[in-house]
Amino acid sequence: MIAIAHFLAITLYVAAAALAAAPFARPVNAPRRSALALLASGVAIHCAALAMLAIRAGDLYVAGLGPSLSMAGFVLALTLLVAELLARDVSLTLIAAPLAAVLTVAGNVVGFAHHVEPSGTQSAWLAAHIALSFLGIAAFGTAAAAGLLYLFERRELRSGRFDAIFRLFPPLATLDRVNHVAALVGWIGLTVGVVLALAYSLEYGGMRPEQLAWGVAAWLGVSALALGRVARGWQARRAAIWSSVSFTLVLVLYVVLRVAGPVGGKFH
Amino acid sequence: MALIVAGVSHRTAALDVRDRLTFRPSEVGGALERITRAAGASEAVMLSTCNRTEVYLVEGAADAGPAVWEAFSDRLGADASPFGYVRRDREAVAHLFQVASGLDSMILGEAQIHGQVRDAWESCRGQAGVALNRLFQSALAVSGRVREETAVARGAASVSSAAVQLAKQIFGTLRGRRAMVLGAGEMAGLALECLVDEGVNASIVANRTHAHAAELASRYGARAMHFEECWQELPAVDVLLSSTASPHPVVTVDRVRAAAEARGDRPLCILDIAVPRDVEPEVGALGNVYLYDLDRLHQVIQANLDRRRAQLPDAEAIVAGEVERYWQWLTGLQAVPVLTRFRSRMDAVREAELAAAMRRLKDVTPEQRAAVEYLTKSLMNKFMHEPSVRLRAAASNGRGLGVVDAMRYLFALDAEAPETADATDEPTTPTEDTAE
Repeated sequence: MIAIAHFLAITLYVAAAALAAAPFARPVNAPRRSALALLASGVAIHCAALAMLAIRAGDLYVAGLGPSLSMAGFVLALTLLVAELLARDVSLTLIAAPLAAVLTVAGNVVGFAHHVEPSGTQSAWLAAHIALSFLGIAAFGTAAAAGLLYLFERRELRSGRFDAIFRLFPPLATLDRVNHVAALVGWIGLTVGVVLALAYSLEYGGMRPEQLAWGVAAWLGVSALALGRVARGWQARRAAIWSSVSFTLVLVLYVVLRVAGPVGGKFH
Repeated sequence: MALIVAGVSHRTAALDVRDRLTFRPSEVGGALERITRAAGASEAVMLSTCNRTEVYLVEGAADAGPAVWEAFSDRLGADASPFGYVRRDREAVAHLFQVASGLDSMILGEAQIHGQVRDAWESCRGQAGVALNRLFQSALAVSGRVREETAVARGAASVSSAAVQLAKQIFGTLRGRRAMVLGAGEMAGLALECLVDEGVNASIVANRTHAHAAELASRYGARAMHFEECWQELPAVDVLLSSTASPHPVVTVDRVRAAAEARGDRPLCILDIAVPRDVEPEVGALGNVYLYDLDRLHQVIQANLDRRRAQLPDAEAIVAGEVERYWQWLTGLQAVPVLTRFRSRMDAVREAELAAAMRRLKDVTPEQRAAVEYLTKSLMNKFMHEPSVRLRAAASNGRGLGVVDAMRYLFALDAEAPETADATDEPTTPTEDTAE
């Protein structure tokens, strides 16, 4: 049942991205409502899948690489849905929905092996850390997606190619605004998430160095972006480049740490 | 009832002919009255714009075309019919739907015609009846559908609107953005007007001749400046619109680089609509500067028009579907009174024959009388069923007008009702077909 729900969610994410991309094939507006409905359905079914997983594990949250990846996909899709509803657009769906689908597929491929989790205060602490960290990473990912779209569109606008991207992407200012808001949300989420992780490791131990390194790297990336935007007046191209490059580096670091990490380790 | 449209448009008549055949709103009523009287038409609407003058009529017994050409020829001072066209019935309906949707416009999909069709209809309401009211109402709905469901009216189709489209793609809303204009000519004024309509705050107008700059600046509450002093203001503006008559570029890389650096990461949109160009092409290579010259703006327009043309089949499919719907309504409208009259005529015959039969029969009980009456009604309904069904079907598939006319003729439904209630007691003689 959990696998079927995940499969449905993945299908809906891909379908939403396909609908958002449809105007590239025909010169019509993206079917925004349909795309958002598919995305929302995917989020709802994904949420149900994670709830079933939590019930099966007998705790409110689910740890382990598979569930973590699935949770990351879910939070990214949820953040995307909120961003698209606020922006009244579906361009971000083009990039972020497939990313959410890929994360969910990866979670399913890795599997949902049961881990023995802490309980009581320790459990709540860890749950808060995971939730806020995922929120921060999802927002960082949204900022990166908006930055990437900004860079694509900027290139089109400057080169004088007035095709699908020019017609269908939101204005540069809108993408810049999404990048700005997502950077701030990402910074808040990751800051609190990392602080909770540090406090957790001091209180209960068990934090692995590679986890800490990755968390701090992600926090540094989003902090530099948020600080640059707020304190140094970064915007437009500079913010777009920084967000997409730093997020890509964070993803690469994650893969490197996974590959180089201890066999069967619990890094997630 | 037959629909007809006769008129001239940019497709059939040169500008000077169209100019002379353009009717001012105050002239339309009188002209229509003359045409309807001469044509014996029951309804009329005139659509007169700079690109077309057309008269839509519901004809009486005579052809209404000559009356329109006579009125047009009087105004033109020559025979107007070689410059015009006539469409009838379905073609007339399709024509108006295409006109209202901008499919017959000089610039495909242009939006202004929608309002012009609505205004024409509103101003002729007194002379329009049920058929033309419904026709124009449908035309406006079709226009809305075409614009909503296809991209036939999307994207800029003029230099000014292309400039606005590009600026909006950079800044989103233009409300509150600051613009500086170099030059004070007609093109600069038109482009600035488009930007101001979108909420741009025109802050500076710079020109070599200060008086011209002051004149344009006063229209938009901007400051007038000389060229030499305007560059220090460049870092504060978001949109630079340049349209001078200078033979050499006046906006140089050095001037813009300094401004762009002072602006930090904020984008600067430069619209160069001058020929020869006012802005050095190298300016476009500066970071956060978006430079568009006339060639680029024409590229935008061309791309938009190509996309509009690609949407024509979809738009025409909408028009064709709506033409059928209107035509079914119109023919159905004519079938209903004929059917009603047909039924009442047959019912009158039945009642007369029944009354005559009852007088001839003695000692008929109420039950027997009811049975006979039921028999007559049943027979009449069965006889009438097939013609009624076929008439409705003909009306709904668009062949109604001919069938309606045939029915009207065969059953003399236009004539005064004959004396069906025979005064004598004699039953009508059975025909060979029915006598058994």
